[in-house]
Amino acid sequence: MSLKGSLTPWGPLKAMNPLSPMSPLRLYARSRALPAALAALAGTAVAAAWAAHWLVSLPAFDHTARLPVVVFGPLLAAAAIGTGLHTPSDELDRTAVRAWWPRRLAHLLGATVLAVALLALAVPGHAEAFGAPAAVRNTLGLAGVAAAGAALIGARLSWLPPVLFVGGVYLAAPGEPGGAADWWAWVMQPGPQGGSWTVAVAAFTAGATLYAWRGARRATAAS
Amino acid sequence: MNPSATVAVTGLTVRHRRTVALDALDLSLGPGVHGLLGPNGAGKTSLIRVLATVAAPSSGRVELLGTDSAGHGERTAIRRRLGYLPQEFGYYPAFTVREFVAYVAWLKEVPADRAPAAVERAVRRVGLGDRIDARMKTLSGGMVRRAGIAQAIVNEPELLLLDEPTAGLDPEQRVEFRALLRELGTRATVVVSTHLVEDVAAACTDVALIEAGRLAFQGATAELVALGGEPAEPGGSPTSAVERGYTTALRAHRGPTGRARESLR
Repeated sequence: MSLKGSLTPWGPLKAMNPLSPMSPLRLYARSRALPAALAALAGTAVAAAWAAHWLVSLPAFDHTARLPVVVFGPLLAAAAIGTGLHTPSDELDRTAVRAWWPRRLAHLLGATVLAVALLALAVPGHAEAFGAPAAVRNTLGLAGVAAAGAALIGARLSWLPPVLFVGGVYLAAPGEPGGAADWWAWVMQPGPQGGSWTVAVAAFTAGATLYAWRGARRATAAS
Repeated sequence: MNPSATVAVTGLTVRHRRTVALDALDLSLGPGVHGLLGPNGAGKTSLIRVLATVAAPSSGRVELLGTDSAGHGERTAIRRRLGYLPQEFGYYPAFTVREFVAYVAWLKEVPADRAPAAVERAVRRVGLGDRIDARMKTLSGGMVRRAGIAQAIVNEPELLLLDEPTAGLDPEQRVEFRALLRELGTRATVVVSTHLVEDVAAACTDVALIEAGRLAFQGATAELVALGGEPAEPGGSPTSAVERGYTTALRAHRGPTGRARESLR
C-alpha cells in the first residue's frame, strides 16, 4: 500500500474532498449523524459561555460560582459525543475490509478535542477556580466515561453512566477541595488538583481504549 | 473435501449462551446458487453470519475462497470478495440509495475511481435505477430489501450471502430477483437462506437443508424434487414436488426418534 493510500483511517487522502457528496469521510460522518453531534457540541458551548457570564455578573456571586457550568457543560458535551458513536448499520459495518479501531479512535479523539476546545473558551479567566482547566479536565474525563458506556451498554445509552456519576458526586462532594475528594469527586475540583487530573486522564484513556477495541455494543442481541 | 469449493466448513459449531445453533456442521459449496433451507431456528442465520465473517464460530474450521477465515489478514482479503445481505440491516435513514450503496462500497474498499459506476450498476441491477436519489426512509419494504441486495453485490463478490432476500418482495419482484440470482450464480457462489421452498425450486441449482444445527440433506434441487415423488393423495392439498421433497428429507433426517416425538404431539 502506498503512503498516500494509508494517510487517513477513511482511505486515501486524495479521496477525502469533503465537498464531494460521495467522499468516504462525508458518508461516514452522515452515517453517524455527526453534523447533529457537532451542532449539539456548539450549542452546549454557547449555552455554557452564556451561563458562566450570567452567573459571574450576578451581584452576590463571583467566578467561583461557575462550578455548575464546568460540570454540566462537559456533561452535556460528553452525552453528545457518546450518543454520536451510535451506528445504525452495525451488522454491515462488521463486514468492512479494514479494521475499525483507527476510525473509532479518530472519531472519538476528534470529537473530544473539539469539545475540549469549545468548553475551554466558554469559561475565560480565573484558571485556578472553575475556569478553563476544570472545563478541559471534566470534558476529557466525562467523554471517557461516555465512551466506556458506549462500549458496555450501547451508544444510545452512553449518556447514562456520566449522568449517574455526576448526579451522585454533585450531591455528595464536600464543599472544600482536596483530600480524598480529589480522586472520587474529580469533577467538582476547582482546577489544578493533581488527583482529579489523574483520574480524568485515566478515565479518558480507559474509555477510549475500550471503545476503540470493542466498538459500541450492539443494541439488539444477534439471533 | 473438494479443493475447488468456495465454502468449506468442517465441524462448525456455534453456541449462543446455552443453546447450540450449529452442531459440528460439515458443508462444502462451489459456484452456483445454493438454497439454504430449514425450519425456523435451524441455524441458517448463524451459518450465514459465520460465513460472512461477522460472527466467530465456537469451534470448527471455516475456509472461504480458498483461505482459512480464522486469520486476521486472510479475513481482510476474504471480505473484499464477499457480499452479505443480513436478515435485518440498519442504515442511516437520511441516506439516499446511492449514498447507502456507496457507503458499503467504501467499506468493501472498492477503488474510489470505480465506485460511482459500481454503485449505479448495482442499483440498476436490482431495478431501483429510477429511485437511486430517493432517501432510504421514503422507500417501501421491498425497495429497502432491493437496496440491501444492491449493497451486497456492489463489489462484484465471488461469495454472496443472502439471508432471507425475498422477504417483503412482491411476486413480480421475486420473479425478477430469481433471474438476477441465476445470473449472479454463473460466476459467483451464491448462498440464499430462505424459508420459501418455491424460491429454491425456481432459482437454485443446489440445496442444503439444515435442521437443528446439522445438515439434513445436500444435493441438486432436482434430487430434492425427486425425493418428493408423486402426490400421496390425488386431489389432496396441492403441494409442489419440491415441498414434498423438503418434508421427506426432514423426516428422514429426524429418524425414528424424531417421528416418535412428532406423533406424540
